[in-house]
Amino acid sequence: MENLSEQAYAYLLLAPAFALLVVIAFWPLFEALRMSFFADDVLGGGKLGEFTGLTNYVQLLTNNNALAPATFLDPSFEVPILQQALFMTLLFAIITVVGETLLGFAYAMLMKKDFRGRRWVRVLIILPWSIPIVIQGMIFFLMFRPGFGLLTEPLQQLGIFSSIPLNTTFDGFVIVTVTDIWKTSAFMALLILAGLESVNQDLYEVADVMGASTWQRFRYITFPLVFPALMVAMLFRTMGALRVYGVIESTSVGCTTLPSMTCLVTQLMFGSSALYGSAAAASVLIAVVVGLFISVYLVFIRRSDQELGPA
Amino acid sequence: MSIDAQDHPDSETYDEDEDEDRTRIQQWARDWIEHPNKAYAVMGVFGAGVLLTTTLFPLYWLFAVAMTPPGQSDIPLIPATFDFSAFIVIFQRIPFARYMFNSLFYAVSVTLIVLVVGSLAGYAFGRLRFKGKKVLLFSLLLISFFPPATLFLPLFQAFNQQIKMLGLFTLPVEIYQTPAAVITPISAFAMPLAIFILTTFYSQIPDGLEDAARIEGTTRLGALFRVVVPLSAPGVATAGILTFITTYVEFFFSFLMTGDQASEWAPIVNGVLAFQTRYTVRYDLQAAASLVAIIPVAILVVVAQEKIISGLTQGALKE
Amino acid sequence: MARVKLTDVTKEYGDVTAVNNMNLDLKDGEFITLVGPSGCGKSTTLETVAGLTKPTSGTIEIGDREVTNLPPKDRGIAMVFQNIALFPHMDVYDNISFGLRLRDFPQEEMDERVDEAARVVQLQGMLDRMPSEMSGGQRQRVAIARAIVREPEVFLMDEPLANLDAKLRVNMRTELQRLHKQLDTTIIYVTHNQAEAMTMSDRISVLNKGELQQIAPPLVCYNEPANRFVAGFIGSPSMNFARATINDGQLDTDDYSVDFDATVVEELEDGDDVEMGVRPEDLYLADNREEAHDPSQPLGVETDVLEPMGDQIFVYLKPVGESGSGMGDVEERQGLLMSVDPDTDIVEEQSIEVVIDRARIHLFDMQTGDALSHGVVREAATAEADDGEAEAGDDGAQVS
Repeated sequence: MENLSEQAYAYLLLAPAFALLVVIAFWPLFEALRMSFFADDVLGGGKLGEFTGLTNYVQLLTNNNALAPATFLDPSFEVPILQQALFMTLLFAIITVVGETLLGFAYAMLMKKDFRGRRWVRVLIILPWSIPIVIQGMIFFLMFRPGFGLLTEPLQQLGIFSSIPLNTTFDGFVIVTVTDIWKTSAFMALLILAGLESVNQDLYEVADVMGASTWQRFRYITFPLVFPALMVAMLFRTMGALRVYGVIESTSVGCTTLPSMTCLVTQLMFGSSALYGSAAAASVLIAVVVGLFISVYLVFIRRSDQELGPA
Repeated sequence: MSIDAQDHPDSETYDEDEDEDRTRIQQWARDWIEHPNKAYAVMGVFGAGVLLTTTLFPLYWLFAVAMTPPGQSDIPLIPATFDFSAFIVIFQRIPFARYMFNSLFYAVSVTLIVLVVGSLAGYAFGRLRFKGKKVLLFSLLLISFFPPATLFLPLFQAFNQQIKMLGLFTLPVEIYQTPAAVITPISAFAMPLAIFILTTFYSQIPDGLEDAARIEGTTRLGALFRVVVPLSAPGVATAGILTFITTYVEFFFSFLMTGDQASEWAPIVNGVLAFQTRYTVRYDLQAAASLVAIIPVAILVVVAQEKIISGLTQGALKE
Repeated sequence: MARVKLTDVTKEYGDVTAVNNMNLDLKDGEFITLVGPSGCGKSTTLETVAGLTKPTSGTIEIGDREVTNLPPKDRGIAMVFQNIALFPHMDVYDNISFGLRLRDFPQEEMDERVDEAARVVQLQGMLDRMPSEMSGGQRQRVAIARAIVREPEVFLMDEPLANLDAKLRVNMRTELQRLHKQLDTTIIYVTHNQAEAMTMSDRISVLNKGELQQIAPPLVCYNEPANRFVAGFIGSPSMNFARATINDGQLDTDDYSVDFDATVVEELEDGDDVEMGVRPEDLYLADNREEAHDPSQPLGVETDVLEPMGDQIFVYLKPVGESGSGMGDVEERQGLLMSVDPDTDIVEEQSIEVVIDRARIHLFDMQTGDALSHGVVREAATAEADDGEAEAGDDGAQVS
């Protein structure tokens, strides 16, 4: 090892990490792609049927697979299951990311200020992020549980919630969204804080000298300079939101009430008949959707980088 | 708590004054119009209060539920009695301590793996010159975007010995529902962020120190672990804490790769869900179990909030 | 203590050749300096000796062992770094004893050795301090103590004084020389500062663009530079250079002519161009011509700018009637630089006559830059043919 060139030594040091990543990430990605071209073996046992090309994808897109689990979104089976999952997941992603960005921005501004007790304010902001997803689910399950939860009754009286909120798609969606925003705003806040702290403080003094108001300082200095960091933070969060699964299971809303894209994979896999081919196809479609989002964000980030010039 | 107390020393006195005095209010309004920054400061205090309440309230409510005797479905906001028995019962009804232990075991194992393996990689990225550095860093970033669900099926089958790992070999033992089935995937997903953080810290160590160590008699690896790692202790601690929390809160693999019995290495996920599905009438137990499970990470956050914040901000800036 | 031998050492980074075919042979106990401008390959050469960089080709021997493929720890070397490189998380004792601890020395012997090393560098009583609590000079002493405590066969020093302030640098220079006398260890010292190289070393090796230009004792490098690069690099202020044409026993430059003995450069004919070099101290006022070994005929010039240094005055000279050298780059400056005694009665814009010491005129080949002759009169001249076997040492001048 002592005689390796710098380059060879670097590769040697990287080997364990990338070996793990190849086994856990890269290989399964390609394997999933391969599996998605094979038919489901209805008899289970973790086997795949014949090579069927794109059939699984076609079935997912057209809802042509009689074995696929039904969902509450459309009991009549007319809307393809994939379309339901996609619609639900995208809606969830948009609402949570917007909500978390707004809240996160507020948290970040608060965390940046220096005041007595800042340490404890920061602790309280980060705390929800460090709570296991399953416990978050538990908290909000208890809060929204019918006949018991603190918030259920008022919401029902206002006519917003139905009598069985955990089993109603709209109510479940609200519950899951609130849960996610509560937890993840803190993470968003930390990423935005990173951007805020990278802003050159001298600029604020310049602005003060020029007589800018608080709002103007935010509008003309903070926001444009934080924008790239904001985009990165939103990119991270969008990726997280698109893979939503834990909060759905742990709030007891469940995948049948709220079929996210990840739900689709687990439902197909662990459902009454193990539809591995279809599950693989669904998982590949998730990767495609995620990939599309990444590309859109990267275009935005690159554009805003160019506008700002080299930092 | 007084936001901006230094900048606006008098904003506090307004808060304390509950008087409905009309002239007082007029004075207030005039003051705000003349000094809009004061208004912003007061709004800031108000907003901060709202934010913190929404953050804390769910946790407080959990406590209130835990205090409420079983069978009572009307939860008072201020508990009538303080009955801590639920906190004991949870350990008696199910082996909750074992669930906790399993989760902590996963978190510690993943943290150790990520720190050792990630240190090697972070060192290479931070301090060595080699071809393909950018491409490899970018591939790390990509992995942090991978949807776990996409990777799950092949891993599940390989861990079950149903298909060959990497298409090359069948695993010698079935590792589904063993610690390895949870630890390896979570390690892989926690790795990129840890590597980014460690890369940043390692690259800041002055040149020459490792050379000095090697001249003095360490091997190359010796220089890394005797000089570079100790000097980057804050960074290593940050990466470790973040990895620990990430693993402890993880749901996907913890839920799907394990059985649901504590003796089968099931983590807290299963412990808490056991209360949710099996003991539906004992809300107090569910709440108590949740609170107990939060304790380890809550302590960590209180002790290490500085490191968490600096770690995430630096790791993120690196992109 | 050991001799160090580099044979045909070459180091390439991709397309860049940092060190090209380096041959060095150091005697036991010798203090040798690698000197040259930044990027000349001196540090890379040192790193190959240290084992921190593996040469692309060539071999390195320390003592009787070939060490080319040995890791640094097995080479019997110690090193002092430019940025001092103390371990900030260890106190002085732990820093000094680091290498001993790695080699599992018994505590007692370790204490003894650390105390001795601390005494040598005058750091007694500071062993429990942290590096952050010490001054730059003290830190450098710790780094030196860390190096000597292991009693290495060879000491490597990579610009150890570069980060110290000017006064401290001069003090440490003396201390290092004292240390060398005391320890009698082979030392390889890298610096870009030619004054350090001149004052401290037994021999200097001058490097440029990865190639060895000359290896010789300091005064030989100064008086008989192997080529134009060495002539220009060693000595401050730098040597005056001018293009001259050989014309019937005369060296004609644009501004003046000097008589010379054409037989010192037999291979040149009338009409050939040479690069002529004269150090500032080898120019004299015509009134003081007797101080020169072999004065040329007087040249009429005009003074331009004066730079009084205290112990001498630097006088910039320009041809009579010209408006001065202007703001041009030093390299392109016309005219001559002369140093004179501080009490000389001289003012700016004054017409004077000067002579050049012909025994101290250096001639270099226009194309290769190789030295053709040091001195341009027969009795004083050290012809090019002589110096290969003379003082320059075993390797002689490595001229490419």
